Amino acid sequence: MNICSLVVHTKPEKGPVVSKRLEKMTGVEVHGGEDADKLIVTVEDEGETVSPVSDTMNAMNGVKGVVSTILIYHYGGEESLEEMKREIN
Amino acid sequence: MKLTRRDFIKSNAVAAAASVAGVTLPAIKSATAADGDDGIRWDKAACRYCGTGCSVLMGVKDGKVVASQGDPDAPVNKGLNCIKGYFLPKILYGQDRVTQPMLRKTNGKYDKNGKFEAVSWEEAFKIMAEKWVAARKAKGAKGVGMFGSGQWTVWEGYAAAKLMKAGFRSNSLDPNARHCMASAVGAFMRAFRIDEPMGCYDDLEHADDFVLWGANMAEMHPILWSRLTDTRLTKKGCKVHVLSTYEHRCYELADNPIIFEPQSDLAIANFIANYIIQNKAYNKDFIGKHVNFNKTTTDIGYGLRPSHPLQKAAKNPNKGKFNKIAFDEYAKLVSEYTVEKASKMSGVPKKNLIKLAKAYADPKRKVSSFWTMGMNQHTRGVWMNGLVYNIHLLMGKISEPGNSPFSLTGQPSACGTAREVGTFTHRLPADLVVKKDAHCKFAEKVWKLPAGTIPRHNGMSDKAAQSDISGKPMGKTLIHAVAMHRALKDRKMNCFWVMCNNNMQAAANMNEESLPGWRDPANFITVTDPYPTVSAQAADLVLPTSMWIEKEGAYGNAERRTQFWRQQVQGPGESRSDLWQLMEFAKYVKVEDVWPEDLIAKQPEYAGKTLYDVLYANGQVDKFPKQQVTDDRGNEYGNDEMDHFGYYVQKGLFEEYRLFNSVPGIPKKGHEMAEFEVYHKARGLRWPVINGKETLWRFREGYDPHVEKGSEVQFYGAKDKKANIIFGPYEPAAEMPDKEYNLWLCTGRVLEHWHSGSMTRRVPELYRAVPDAVVFMSKKDAKKRKLRNGSMAKIVSRRGEIVCRVDTKGRNKVPDGLVFVPWFDAGRLVNKLTLDATDPLSKETDYKKCAVKISKA
Repeated sequence: MNICSLVVHTKPEKGPVVSKRLEKMTGVEVHGGEDADKLIVTVEDEGETVSPVSDTMNAMNGVKGVVSTILIYHYGGEESLEEMKREIN
Repeated sequence: MKLTRRDFIKSNAVAAAASVAGVTLPAIKSATAADGDDGIRWDKAACRYCGTGCSVLMGVKDGKVVASQGDPDAPVNKGLNCIKGYFLPKILYGQDRVTQPMLRKTNGKYDKNGKFEAVSWEEAFKIMAEKWVAARKAKGAKGVGMFGSGQWTVWEGYAAAKLMKAGFRSNSLDPNARHCMASAVGAFMRAFRIDEPMGCYDDLEHADDFVLWGANMAEMHPILWSRLTDTRLTKKGCKVHVLSTYEHRCYELADNPIIFEPQSDLAIANFIANYIIQNKAYNKDFIGKHVNFNKTTTDIGYGLRPSHPLQKAAKNPNKGKFNKIAFDEYAKLVSEYTVEKASKMSGVPKKNLIKLAKAYADPKRKVSSFWTMGMNQHTRGVWMNGLVYNIHLLMGKISEPGNSPFSLTGQPSACGTAREVGTFTHRLPADLVVKKDAHCKFAEKVWKLPAGTIPRHNGMSDKAAQSDISGKPMGKTLIHAVAMHRALKDRKMNCFWVMCNNNMQAAANMNEESLPGWRDPANFITVTDPYPTVSAQAADLVLPTSMWIEKEGAYGNAERRTQFWRQQVQGPGESRSDLWQLMEFAKYVKVEDVWPEDLIAKQPEYAGKTLYDVLYANGQVDKFPKQQVTDDRGNEYGNDEMDHFGYYVQKGLFEEYRLFNSVPGIPKKGHEMAEFEVYHKARGLRWPVINGKETLWRFREGYDPHVEKGSEVQFYGAKDKKANIIFGPYEPAAEMPDKEYNLWLCTGRVLEHWHSGSMTRRVPELYRAVPDAVVFMSKKDAKKRKLRNGSMAKIVSRRGEIVCRVDTKGRNKVPDGLVFVPWFDAGRLVNKLTLDATDPLSKETDYKKCAVKISKA
């Protein structure tokens, strides 16, 4: 499975509206940064060989109000979904 | 609250992004990746790809890399990473990794036309040694050759230089950096007598004007581009000038977009110098104290075979000599390049040229110039690099924050390895050269070898011919990358070892000059690579390698920063690192196999020894005993080479290398480095490192401790401590479009793929993003040929043809008359088309200019 985090820069004062647009995409979650026009975004998928995560990230560049997307973190372990859902504490 | 493993990883990912963006998220505590409950061990590594030298944090779990993150503590990338960087872990796990040595065989025996069969390392090295020793004896110093890499780690390049120059007594060692950096090196040595940029990436925050001369930073150096973009958007009055032969992504930010006719950059640069002089803007004080004026020999040919008509027509083929002239003569020479003339030659409107010239000529504006392959891969690349130094030197805009002529690199260790440890045919470690008897003697002393071991460029030491195992005089010994392929074709070289690069795909004119030599039964070709590349498939012996973080390593980036990493994981199957291969192979060759009797007689204790004994088990390289490698958090790391050879190989090689650059009495100061251990703790240090402190700007008092007090600036590479302004005129390209072949062909890279794509094409995400090479062409040119976006086109040059899809709408917008085809695609080999013309001085191929015709496929 893949878990990525990104910083998405938006046009001035478009943070909140772009945030809503992004959250409609599959596997996408916005964690904050709307006020700074720098959205903290995660993208996840369930672990196909060719990850849809990269497609989602490409698609983000086409979303209205997006200036740039920068990847920060990538996790690409091969464990099963069950394993990932197991509680660790 | 209960946390799942997924939640945990996600919160780390979010924290990392928030930290880089400077956004505060109340729910998030830990700011960066650290060893935590998720069972991932994090450690730094220098990125495997380009010359930027980003640091990445690699997350390892159960012996496998599972995660990566931009290193927030890295001064280069400050937590950012480009798309290639994020999929870095995946380059280790391509499904077709080579995991065993493979030899072409028929009926159990080596056969040039046989099929690849798995063999043991012993069998591989035995046959290789047999072939190498025979070729070395029969054909002399050029009978064997090695083609190395700007992707080698520092110690791999160093070990290779020793093996070839001292062991095999052959200067037939050249790196693939010949194809990318040689022109930059040539110009540094001519202008400053010492290699590599004087400035550093901090210039990206200090300049008022950025000038890109043939560099698509947005795609090829995305992290540097993001730093430049930040400055452009936040600093008042900051401007960006972009020069290229076609429009690429950098033009989105360009205040002064300039598209010039190929080769006319020579005229533009001379015009700027002329503008500065005409307007009396030059820095009189600076040029009076710190600069010599010169003009170079002209009409120097195109680095083609001597039999080529263009070569025969040249008056002074390959001549690099330049002579001192007075300032007035220099002023007269450039005066020909008026704005009218430059505009006419380049096709650039006068107002754009003047805007550019004004930026340089304004003493109040700080200017940083950046360039890469557009300027280096140029039949007048050395001159062109020099013309940009001329402009900066005229204004004294050099060696201080923001004023910086900066040659960027394309490979992670083009500087640290290829250039600094002496993997070029003419070089030895730390800028020493085989042309100088004294430099060779110094190297022989450091390496504990008899005087006269290293072949001099002309085969003469102490004015006497050096004797050779072939029984003939040593003769001339230098041979550069392009000449190696020619020598294989001509059977002057019979053995070739290609390591850590893909030269069959990379070298120009492959059908005529590369393949014939490789597939000739007289020749034995070895390729060391993690993947079955185009080169591996054309070889006779393929050796699997442990790549990048499967070994302990060090790279040196474009700003002189040396960075180390620990071995993070183990290579698959039987793969062994390039370092292991170089040293282990040396065990299969005896001193008597390659050295003449009179040389051995000078050091009789070496009789009967192997090259391994003499070069590596020499009391220096094997000095540091085996130890457990740990980080400051107590994590333990493997080191496969240390386990095998029984000592800390990397440390021994690095500390021996430091005897060339960091101890008293060395021939050339200015390359000082810190002790081995220091680099494992630091996020890299920029040399010269003096008393533990790195140097950001060289040659200027207050920044560079080598500069004497009260002198302001000293270009101390030269005896008189002055830099050279060298005039070179416009001379035409080797092959220009004509009636039949009516388009310029330019080649290069794209963001998603690095170099020949041997790594990035194996990352599914990157492959999907850009699967195949396309030909970028203008709508008008397409229409003329009854083509449109998406049609298949046949591209033909005088040397070959390929078929690929037309792109008229993509990221690169080419002008009428020029097409661009990237070279990453093994299925569409653009180097079937290119011409093997080189800069006659640097011997670097011009991949940016040849003539093609295009029709419907």
